[in-house]
Amino acid sequence: MTISRRQILGGAGFLAAAAALNGCAGFSGGGTDDGGDGDANTLTFTTWGSAAEEEGFRSGIAAFEAANSGTKVELNLVPYEQIFQNIDAQLQAGTAPDLFRVDYGTIGAYSSQDQLLDLSSYFDTAAAEEFLPAMWQAVQFDGKPFGVPHQTDTSALVYRTDLFEQAGITSVPDSLDSAWTWDEFRQVAEKLRGSIPDDLYPFVYNWQLGGSTRWLSWLFQAGGRLFDDGLTGSAIESDAGTRALEFTQGFFTDALVPPSSSVKSSTYADDAFSAGTTAMAFVGNFVLPGLEENIKDFEWGATYLPRDERGACDLGGNALVATKNARNPELAAEFLKFMTQPDQMSDFCARAMELPTLNSLVGTELDYQTRPDIAGIFVEQATTLEPGDVEQLTAPAMAAINPKLRDELEAAFTQGQPVDRTLANIAAAVDAAAG
Amino acid sequence: MSADTSAREESTGSTRPPPSPAATYTARPGRASRQRLSTGAAAGFLGPNLILLGVFLFLPLGWAFLISFQESSGFGASGWVGLENYRRLVTDPTFWQSALNTAAFTLITVPSSLALGLGLAVLMNSVLPGRRLFRTLIYLPMVISGIATALMGVLLFDEATGIVNKLLRESGLATVPWQSQGTAAFASVILVTLWIRVGFNMVIYLAGLQGISPELYEAARLEGASSWQQFRYLTVPLVGPSTFFLLIMDVIYSFQVFDTIFVMTGGGPGRSTSVLVTYAYENGFVTRDQSYAAAIGIVIFLITLVFTAIQWRGNRSRDTVG
Repeated sequence: MTISRRQILGGAGFLAAAAALNGCAGFSGGGTDDGGDGDANTLTFTTWGSAAEEEGFRSGIAAFEAANSGTKVELNLVPYEQIFQNIDAQLQAGTAPDLFRVDYGTIGAYSSQDQLLDLSSYFDTAAAEEFLPAMWQAVQFDGKPFGVPHQTDTSALVYRTDLFEQAGITSVPDSLDSAWTWDEFRQVAEKLRGSIPDDLYPFVYNWQLGGSTRWLSWLFQAGGRLFDDGLTGSAIESDAGTRALEFTQGFFTDALVPPSSSVKSSTYADDAFSAGTTAMAFVGNFVLPGLEENIKDFEWGATYLPRDERGACDLGGNALVATKNARNPELAAEFLKFMTQPDQMSDFCARAMELPTLNSLVGTELDYQTRPDIAGIFVEQATTLEPGDVEQLTAPAMAAINPKLRDELEAAFTQGQPVDRTLANIAAAVDAAAG
Repeated sequence: MSADTSAREESTGSTRPPPSPAATYTARPGRASRQRLSTGAAAGFLGPNLILLGVFLFLPLGWAFLISFQESSGFGASGWVGLENYRRLVTDPTFWQSALNTAAFTLITVPSSLALGLGLAVLMNSVLPGRRLFRTLIYLPMVISGIATALMGVLLFDEATGIVNKLLRESGLATVPWQSQGTAAFASVILVTLWIRVGFNMVIYLAGLQGISPELYEAARLEGASSWQQFRYLTVPLVGPSTFFLLIMDVIYSFQVFDTIFVMTGGGPGRSTSVLVTYAYENGFVTRDQSYAAAIGIVIFLITLVFTAIQWRGNRSRDTVG
């Protein structure tokens, strides 16, 4: 058989187009390598995760498959930086996975746009009451649950014992009730400023790289709110808002934090602390394994976040959700239920150094592998989060407000933008997004 | 040429009589058939590329154009708003700041990378020892992914832990606020861009230089031209086609810069390193206002198109020079 040049060219063209289209399938992500797409007993699950989290998910999936004969869950791991761009594109293209992982600040953007499976018929009141009220609140939209709270995390304060000794700081708070007030915290920072070299800094705050909403902890501690009570407009232009912004702006003007640690910095707070450039750092519990691994030159401990009118902290962690067009909604809901059973949740949280969201696990000692001596500080700190805070942090409008909040905080911290103008601009962004 | 060859083969390898006029006449449809075959081959070569360009370039471009006249609803666009997104652009200070930064970035990086590329090409074209190694080293950043080179930029220019500030500190010099001060942040992005870009320019210029006849330089030397005069009056004009090509490529690259800035500064501090593409990304993928992002994308496309058209018209004869 002879093959003509035209046939070769045609074949090459077809192969090139097929290869290119196949390449695009990587972006769509919902497809699978072994043809599981059409199988109603197969679930596709997209998530990001650290090595420990991946291990936790794989272990949970294996247990689910063993408990539900004939089912299969295909895990698709995507870097955190691109997961929501992928998910958005897949939802628009109709190729979204059956299940994905989403942080509490972003879930509203999906539930309010009718992209997620309403789980009301799968989780009755008794099932809902098993979760911490604040966390169950975090997955609600319009009074209906659109996900399950899989784990949570929050920030606390870690510190270098050597630099504390050098500054003459001999005691740190050992309970929530004795946590430093803002004034006491400021005094500690100033003591450190006076005793450490100029190129080291008293502390670093973790509001970088998408973490700008962590600034709201200061607002809540001051007794302030971002939204009004009905979540229909802003409430940040207040004495509490002014106090919180003035206090945090002072971190930069008084050289208490590295000048490069503002909200647009490309360096995470825990990296700066690991590198030994700060005496304290506000960090989430999920970074503890990284700190333990990277810090070799000094001893470090942890304490509670400062408080003002009240204690408050940030809402970290993630929910698991099913997409509205999941091929087998019953099976997807079954998987969500399974992954939030006490044994699965405690296994996952212990591996990944994260906090559980079930009432039944709050008082129990999880088998944390890293720094179990300080894990309890984060667990206790998480109790300062109030339902009203959660309601604001998970409002659908937060997705549009976040970038504006980041820009305005950046302008206040690094460009000297006045406090009242900054608050007015944030308020305008909240009004525009929530109105 | 193939027709001649086959004619020769037929006349030498065959004992048949020479073809009659009628036979010659019947060969004409053969030429037409070859012409058709040739057209078919061209279509075969072009077809796959045109299909790919159509599906992955022109279709999304047209789609983006349509979306830019619509309103975003978070997932997909809904509702026709006409020129509203473009009106919004005109009154958006962040857009203008980003456009200004893009223009400044282009004005600094394009001439600098052209000059450095030409300088390095001249050096690498001479008898520099180990020039193959140097050529490879200079080209290397170009073959690494943009994100990876930008991450190396972070390692170099991180204000607290970066190599540059560590070296300055060790040398007893003042450190530079690479991340907290706008001008320094802009400079760090430009330095990394030049590092990435210069290798490509060097290779193109090197190809141009190697096409210049050494006799021209010999004649210039005999006429008493100095090294600078040889460079100014021989090298620079004779690499004109390379400069023309690189100018267009570098301007397009600079207008579309994203990864370096996204990784190194995130557009900050403040808005001092925000450029049009990072602003479009923010709107499209962070705020999920895809219609507004599409409008910014169309503006970038139009600016690039207009610049390239002007360059093309003004320099149409350059690729025939030298």
